[in-house]
Amino acid sequence: MAAFRQHAMLPKLHHDEQARQDFVGALRGHLSGKVMPENYQLYERKVEPEIRRRQGRPPAHESEVREHMLQEPFYQFWSALQRRSQELLWESVIDPTEREWDTLIARARKSRSGRQRGSLRLDPQLEIPRYHRAFDIHLQPGGYHTDFREDDVAAGAIYDRGIHLYMGGALGIENNLMGDTLVAYLREKHPSFAPLRILDMGCAIGNSTVVWARAFPKADVHGIDVGAPVLRYAHARAESLGVPVHFSQQNAEHTDFADGSFDLIVSHIVLHETSKSALPRILAEGRRLLRPGGLMLHLEIPRGRTVMEKFMHNWESYNNNEIFSRYMTEIDLRQQAVKAGFSLRQVQVDEYTPRLSVAQMNYTKDFFWKILAATR
Amino acid sequence: MKKKKTLPKSPAPPSARIARVAKGKKPQYFSDPAIDKLLSITVSLMEELAVTRDRLDAVERLLARKRIVKASEIDRFEPNARDTEERATRRAAYVSRVLRALHAERDSDAEAVTAVES
Repeated sequence: MAAFRQHAMLPKLHHDEQARQDFVGALRGHLSGKVMPENYQLYERKVEPEIRRRQGRPPAHESEVREHMLQEPFYQFWSALQRRSQELLWESVIDPTEREWDTLIARARKSRSGRQRGSLRLDPQLEIPRYHRAFDIHLQPGGYHTDFREDDVAAGAIYDRGIHLYMGGALGIENNLMGDTLVAYLREKHPSFAPLRILDMGCAIGNSTVVWARAFPKADVHGIDVGAPVLRYAHARAESLGVPVHFSQQNAEHTDFADGSFDLIVSHIVLHETSKSALPRILAEGRRLLRPGGLMLHLEIPRGRTVMEKFMHNWESYNNNEIFSRYMTEIDLRQQAVKAGFSLRQVQVDEYTPRLSVAQMNYTKDFFWKILAATR
Repeated sequence: MKKKKTLPKSPAPPSARIARVAKGKKPQYFSDPAIDKLLSITVSLMEELAVTRDRLDAVERLLARKRIVKASEIDRFEPNARDTEERATRRAAYVSRVLRALHAERDSDAEAVTAVES
């Protein structure tokens, strides 16, 4: 697996903890490289012809593929193993976090007590949206918002190492790939755009927020999220990396920033974790917060082109608590942005191929990001 | 980063634990749910074996590097009373970890789905 840079807020791993994570990496690498592709062969060889024979036409929707694939023993085994690998991934990260819990909390407190480059503002009264409370996204126990004890940072430490393992290290040495990708997109499409006020919506541990702050050192960079433990962690992490970011606990559907507060608003694979009613509200709030001429960029994951690819991508929705993502498969993001008040001419959805290769693909062979770009 | 003695700490109350099971529906993959459990347990066993082999490998390499113990001496090892007790504790934790799948059920699918549809 690709290297991961140790920083002050990451638990240092003991031998067996490292070995557990290495096993999870090996298992997931095997599943995505050697097992997952056979689902496509099974589909082409058996399932697709069967559907064609029964219906007199090829499958028109991923639900028709689902109905048949779920009956296939090979798919059942891959799917059950993929699920198990996700459960073990979190276990392998939670154990060392719990072991170093006291130290991590103490370090985070210290980062808030002295001189700071950025800031942290929490709101204990904030209502956690139902799309966080009702289920734990990606099976991370407790999600992003649960404080297991006072001043907790566990969810952040777990998430940081967890997403590194989830992507087989492809997110980069500081989980920076998504931020890097969106920065590269901005520089390519809008080379003269130099934002001075940037907002990262749904920033979690601020892994992408830090990338923006480094890319635009003159800018005032804000990150918001609903989860207190991930924000405490994000702040301590950014301070330890020496990067100024202002984190606050807010819901992207309705923030307390004034109209026109930002030149640039970004999010990184956040929209598909929200809900039908939250999505348009987040886009509308983005529009309110942009100054005229300001730009909004949302990075999203692909949802497949063929019915089989769509079915495979939706594995996450049915098996990994990305409940909303299956609705995203059918949603037209451009239309959503227009509904939120952006003019059609000012909105586009791009398929963007990363410059860095993504080594471990879970559901398809090729990979591209989807980017919703809208100008106020 | 080096641990600093000056950091004020508030140790976790003995009951404080981080959750190990995610909230939300766990899908059933096979016609018989017992197969799901068996597969989960099997993968945990795979993990434990991988960890054990890595650890053993580390120990043997360290011992050989320092010219302390040869493999043949390990074959003749006899644990004392304290060794035995510690090994028993670790073994119990091992069994509990491998069989965790038996208890890992919290079903709230209905809530999960309505949360995003509302």
